[in-house]
Amino acid sequence: MSFRFGADIGGTFTDIVLVREDGAAMEFGKVLTTPAQPDDAVIAGLEKVRADAGVDPGDVAHVVHGTTLFTNALIERKGAKTALITTKGFRDAIEIGREHRYDMYDLYMRRPDPLAPRHLRYEVDERVLVDGSVLTPLRDEEVVAIAAEIRREGVEAVAISLMHAYANDAHERRIAAILQDELPDVLLTLSSDLVPEIGEYVRTSTSLANVYVQGIAESYLGRLRDRVTGELKLDAGLYIMQSNGGVCEIETAKRYPIRLVESGPAAGALAAAHYGALLGHGDLLSFDMGGTTAKACVIADGKPLIANEFEVDRQYQFKKQSGLPVKIPAIEMIEIGTGGGSIARIDALRRLQVGPDSAGADPGPASYALGGEEPTVTDADLVLGYLDPNFFLGGTMNLDIEAAKQAISSRVAEPLGLSLIEAAWGIHQLANENMASAARIHTIERGKDVTKFPVFAFGGAGPVHAFGVARILHSPRVIYPLGAGVMSSIGFLTAPLTLDFARSYPGTLDGLDWAAVAGILREMQEQGREILHRTIEEDQIRYEHFADMRYVKQGHEVRVPIPPGDFGADHLEQIRRSFEDAYSAIYGHTMQGAEIEVVSWRVLASGPRPDLILPQADPQESSDPATALKGHRAMFLPDEKSVADVPVYDRYKLSSGASFDGPAVIEERESTVVVNGPATIHVDQHANLVIDLSKVE
Amino acid sequence: MAIDQITLDILWGRLIATVNEQAAALMRSSFTSIVREAGDLSAGVFDRQGRMVAQAVTGTPGHINSMATGVMHFLERFPIDTLMPGDVLVTNDPWKTASQLNDITVVTPVFKAGKVVALFANCCHALDIGGRGLSADSRSVFEEGLFIPVMKLHDRGKPVEAVFELLKANVRTPDEVIGDIHSQIVGNEAGAKQLLSFMDEFGLDDIEDLSEEIISRSEAAMRERIRDLPDGSYSYELCIDGFDEPLLLKAKILVEGDELTVDFDGSPDAVPLGVNVCLNYTRAYTTYGIKCALSPDVPNNEGSFRPVHIVAEEGSLLNATYPSAIGGRHLVGHFLPSVIMGALADALPDRVMAPGFDGLWDTHISGRGRKTGEHFSFTWFSAGGTGALKHKDGLSAAAYPSGIAGVPAEVIEALSPLLIHRRELRNDSGGAGTHRGGLGQVMEIETLSDEPYLFSGLYERTKFPAPGLAGGSEGQAGRVLTNNNEKLEPKITRMLPADTIVTLEMPGGGGFGPAFERDTEHVLQDVRNGYVSAAEAKTKYGTVIDTDTWAVDAAATEKLRQKTR
Repeated sequence: MSFRFGADIGGTFTDIVLVREDGAAMEFGKVLTTPAQPDDAVIAGLEKVRADAGVDPGDVAHVVHGTTLFTNALIERKGAKTALITTKGFRDAIEIGREHRYDMYDLYMRRPDPLAPRHLRYEVDERVLVDGSVLTPLRDEEVVAIAAEIRREGVEAVAISLMHAYANDAHERRIAAILQDELPDVLLTLSSDLVPEIGEYVRTSTSLANVYVQGIAESYLGRLRDRVTGELKLDAGLYIMQSNGGVCEIETAKRYPIRLVESGPAAGALAAAHYGALLGHGDLLSFDMGGTTAKACVIADGKPLIANEFEVDRQYQFKKQSGLPVKIPAIEMIEIGTGGGSIARIDALRRLQVGPDSAGADPGPASYALGGEEPTVTDADLVLGYLDPNFFLGGTMNLDIEAAKQAISSRVAEPLGLSLIEAAWGIHQLANENMASAARIHTIERGKDVTKFPVFAFGGAGPVHAFGVARILHSPRVIYPLGAGVMSSIGFLTAPLTLDFARSYPGTLDGLDWAAVAGILREMQEQGREILHRTIEEDQIRYEHFADMRYVKQGHEVRVPIPPGDFGADHLEQIRRSFEDAYSAIYGHTMQGAEIEVVSWRVLASGPRPDLILPQADPQESSDPATALKGHRAMFLPDEKSVADVPVYDRYKLSSGASFDGPAVIEERESTVVVNGPATIHVDQHANLVIDLSKVE
Repeated sequence: MAIDQITLDILWGRLIATVNEQAAALMRSSFTSIVREAGDLSAGVFDRQGRMVAQAVTGTPGHINSMATGVMHFLERFPIDTLMPGDVLVTNDPWKTASQLNDITVVTPVFKAGKVVALFANCCHALDIGGRGLSADSRSVFEEGLFIPVMKLHDRGKPVEAVFELLKANVRTPDEVIGDIHSQIVGNEAGAKQLLSFMDEFGLDDIEDLSEEIISRSEAAMRERIRDLPDGSYSYELCIDGFDEPLLLKAKILVEGDELTVDFDGSPDAVPLGVNVCLNYTRAYTTYGIKCALSPDVPNNEGSFRPVHIVAEEGSLLNATYPSAIGGRHLVGHFLPSVIMGALADALPDRVMAPGFDGLWDTHISGRGRKTGEHFSFTWFSAGGTGALKHKDGLSAAAYPSGIAGVPAEVIEALSPLLIHRRELRNDSGGAGTHRGGLGQVMEIETLSDEPYLFSGLYERTKFPAPGLAGGSEGQAGRVLTNNNEKLEPKITRMLPADTIVTLEMPGGGGFGPAFERDTEHVLQDVRNGYVSAAEAKTKYGTVIDTDTWAVDAAATEKLRQKTR
């Protein structure tokens, strides 16, 4: 029987999941992340979990890996010394950006520094027009001269991004050929190869971000590949998780590392979609709360929503347009600065505020007793009795409840004239309010009704807060999967091999040259086929076509599925209807008589979705929850506005079919499910805890 | 206090979330790209007295702050207890709302148990309102388009067809304009639904106690900030190009205890052009400047405006009376935050920003494209540099105080027969200072046409550059040139020969503090990156850079800087 591994490098821990193909076994492992050489933790973790499970190396078929390495390199600016080659007159496009201030009132607002400083942004006197025709031809000798400059400056990586290169890539390719001759060791990214879409600012920004981390990707992924086969003796396919919810092979990952940037959170959303499908919830709100942030993602019709663009290195951690834009398809989610480490403060208006700044892991919450003096959400959860000071992270870390009380009393309770419990409850509930507001506005912006979406809760702090958040949102149901801390790794194992292609060929629906469109789509499909058919049978490859469409002069494009194949007049009507469906799903109306235009065309080529079979247990006759009762704990109950003893259960001892009433606390190693109000908790056959809120209110 | 602390915090948060949701619903469904892209709208919730209680975090100051006083006017016309469920009110009265006929405000009362408990309002920029279109050329408001007095748009749930028909018949793009008004109605409804839902959840019959608490706390916070300022009188004057002649904007800020008065006495009289400003718009940009410097963290509501008084003589440029033309009021109003910053520089040196380019550069080109032979028309806005602060350089090519979403050159070329030859930062345009002003940008535009084309521009700071503060130097003034080396007028509407290439050189921001005190490492980086030339580094910053080794010549620099001490 063969096995599959998922390995996810996070800020603190590297998580490992091992599953048997038939679902008969699922093992988890956690090792400390090794920032200096992240593959050390991956190799050690894989080996430990494999050995503990007694699995033969020869039986491991796949390893799927995801990492925040590239995100961190972008944020910490630890990438290569990077230059840009662009069209004469446009070297400042990445600095001019959108000419926009993302914060209205903060005069000290900062923009992220471009990844290539201005003195390393070289211009060539060439020009391609919007239709792809050449106004000013490229002169080789100019490029050769620039190559000499680049050599002199000791540049390691170069992005080539020329005006309208999405329409004609000849000049970019010529420059690349010359640079390859002149500077064989310098890494290159061509905007026409990575992101052939209109808009010089975002295309250039994306190309720079890619080449900036390409060197790290090549050395890290190459080393990982070698160690997996060499040290671990695994003869397994090694796949890398991408931000779009699919995996790719090592070679693609090395070339396009920017596609890996948001992969951890994306995989968490995939896991949510997988569990949702299993439980019959096509629509779901994935809710992942960790130490510093909370993320919410809308799963609609079994699929996470996909955005065509996201940002890295936000200057205001959670403010739109404060980062470097990256035009790469990514699972869309909202992230806000509310996590276990979020700090509670009193503002100028004597309001209690929670986050967005965080005490992080060091010094961490006051109760970590590592020198943190400011009260955090975790401290409040502890004081309220929601967390056990002796069973944090499964008892691997003790929390200092006195330090938590002290911090909350001195910094929140006393200044506001509140009791300790009132203050702690205020912190807990305001954190819930922040997350609920963010989730609600995220769904409104996507034209969805959050009150119809069950909440799928994971992450270290997700299960502690999900019940409260779900009550604010009037959610029908909350689902707590087993393994709150390893959902990303589980998500890896549900991700198909996927390749995304996009090309700008703008025009109105009535004015497009459909033969040209069909040609572009065919080309992209062929590119996908070429790469995928190396590992996947031809008839297993799926192609999906999309068009980014909008009404003429509107700003936001809508991603519209369009039929594959060649185009005829009847297809035109079909595309129009597809657009109108997609548009009114979001905006609630269409614009009769307004012209429709397409900006970009997309092809998604993917292999079959791996069948992840989760361990399953039929309802037990002896499913009495009393066998799982660990004891009782005093805990604050908001409905009664008082502290009462509630039962504490050991999650691992609860059997399928068990059912019991809240208030209750259910503890697992990585998190704690807190049910601080009336509810009926049910354990399903996959060991999920399920609470129906519709029965409560 | 009737509400306990934590409940207040939660309800306040809910109210702000509610107006943000109102704005989001509106923004997503708007037909007008300026609303969707730049968030050029405002949305808020008001109590029974018409006092603004919470406002969405979006939009431009002109909409946001002029809305604060707007709903009172609706209630004067339609007293609160005469309103019926299903009523929706509307106006674009510039003197009651946002000082421009294109800005339409829609107000919806929310009922609970048969009684109005709140009003939701939002203001959006309509794509068209008839008249001359967005222009400063009118002599009176009558030329500027359709004037909608405060009236009912829906009456007890039924659309007032007469209003819609009038609108349809008077605007160039009726579908979009009516569509946007529907989005405005939908936005208010979304807000109302959320409000009622959480009132039920918390068992509230009204929001009057909540409103009182929010307003009084905000007022107290604002008063505390003003009290922290040294009492006294602070003056500043700022000269701008104006139209036929320069305009000198004068302000005197009087700080007395916890009250602050801004008096624009001495500012120009109203002009026979569409750049006059209604008092609510003057107040909007004045309070915005004050908020940026003094109280960015105090939320916008009735209370935070209370201790601030704005005075401008009736009939003057900054308090224009009906029926003055006001369509281009932003061409003057956008400079007011800089006037306020200048005046507060002595009282609050750490918090003010030197004047920047301030007024967006507005370009409109129309003609016939060579390739298609079809008529085209294209408008866009561009930003210069912002001013420096005591501890930070200004931003280059960044809109302040208004917001825009810049259009990529590739997109301009896809949507019009324009060819952008250059769009780059304008070297040496930032005002020298201990912290440097932001750089303006240069845009070089060719129109691919075989016929003469119409070029219109509204450009500021071409004669009077952005001054520095605290010893900082002024930024470079803007210029408009052609490939024939002709200098074009900054306020221009003219046919240009087909082969004319226009170059816009936009102004830089003012510097802050003496330039000779700038960290020489920063000067070196500026020269290395071309933001500042080696020549200017020497003359303006007293810093000698060796451009072969990219190092500061410390001895020569010291000698230069010594001389000026």
